[in-house]
Amino acid sequence: MGHIDDIESLADEEVMHLVQDGNPRAFELLYERHGGAGFSLAYRMVGDRVVAEDISQEAFLSIWRSRHRYQPDRGSVRTWVLGIVHHRAIDALRRNLVHDRRRSSAEGIEERHEAPERERTDVVAARREDAQHVRSALGDLPDEQCRVIELAYFGGFSHSQIAEMLEMPIGTVKGRMRLGLEKLRTHLKEKVA
Amino acid sequence: MSVERHQIHEEDVGAYLLRALSDVEQRRFEAHLENCVVCQDEVSRLRPAVNALPRSVHPIAPPLSLKAKLMAEVERDVRERQEAAGVSRRPGAFAGVRRRLGGAFGSLRPTMAWVSASVVLLVGAASGAAGLYALTEATNEETPRSVVAQVDKTRVPFGSGSLVVPDGDQEGAVLQVHGMPELEGDSVYQLWVRRDGEVIPQSLFHVGENGAGAAAVIEKLQDVDVVMVTRESAGGAKAPSEKPVLSVKL
Repeated sequence: MGHIDDIESLADEEVMHLVQDGNPRAFELLYERHGGAGFSLAYRMVGDRVVAEDISQEAFLSIWRSRHRYQPDRGSVRTWVLGIVHHRAIDALRRNLVHDRRRSSAEGIEERHEAPERERTDVVAARREDAQHVRSALGDLPDEQCRVIELAYFGGFSHSQIAEMLEMPIGTVKGRMRLGLEKLRTHLKEKVA
Repeated sequence: MSVERHQIHEEDVGAYLLRALSDVEQRRFEAHLENCVVCQDEVSRLRPAVNALPRSVHPIAPPLSLKAKLMAEVERDVRERQEAAGVSRRPGAFAGVRRRLGGAFGSLRPTMAWVSASVVLLVGAASGAAGLYALTEATNEETPRSVVAQVDKTRVPFGSGSLVVPDGDQEGAVLQVHGMPELEGDSVYQLWVRRDGEVIPQSLFHVGENGAGAAAVIEKLQDVDVVMVTRESAGGAKAPSEKPVLSVKL
């Protein structure tokens, strides 16, 4: 029976067990698997490579130092990691670190280089397909719902800032956020099915 | 919780999940959330949509210096901890698994502890919770082994799993899975073992929204050459109705 010494073949949750034991090699593998996605998200939000690098570094150090807080019943490792990156990026945006360099367009990235991830090719292919599903589901949303979701999630704007920018009541912004997420959830389920 | 108070907050769910509330509003909403089952359900229901958003981002490569700086910090942190503890040995790869599985059953014989842990994991999985993290404290000295599962990626593209097997008499193995799709209707995942060519049914299990679950192997693993999982109708089947979606060769 094989022993678990080849950690590269382990699932994220199992790698995370080793990270929680304080294993730096497992943490390195975790970064190799999700560092690209984390950096890409940060860059998508702040539109600046240097700031995105700082955010990613802060986020991954926070992941290492708070590794015992990961709970698998609350979501996948990737979701947890990206949630922390997102929080750090929002904090940076709200501390006004990036001023007017931030972008809030649907695309937001002019230069694109595929981020190599230390994953099996079938996992990478499945992720690409999944990304396409999510983009397509976002594209299916009515523009006004997609806009408020992107301004909030990727732009880091509060609902009151969005209301001011789009010149609409706060209640309308909140309603569109909720309705948009509801539709996104339904579209994603349909696409998976 | 009053209906009026709920109505004040119910429109905040989307903004809360997108982190678009102010700090004060967020604290108020979280206080409301603690006692409002309706909003808790709504948050759970819509959270997967928010979790999907970062997956839409086009990937770009991070600078190589990022990993170098990060790992330098991590290595320094490890050294400092070791110096503070006055030890230089690395923890065993399974220390965490032992801790999470063994503690609640520390007063039992090792084998019994594993069987009991399996039952708890099974119950946890059936209720939609991944059970491992429910158990804490380290006392069991038995060293389990883990065998990585082979997954049919055409049917479960994000699936993975491993069979955690206690050393000794090979009783009380537990299969942990991740990234498995939730099954529609009353369908269930069913665990099987194959011994001397005979396929023997084992536990039924469900996975939670996050695709995680666990199931106990009831049989001893002696002479078993493969443990596998299929998708079956409610109540399970006497024989597999499809090729395994996941299998562990022993």
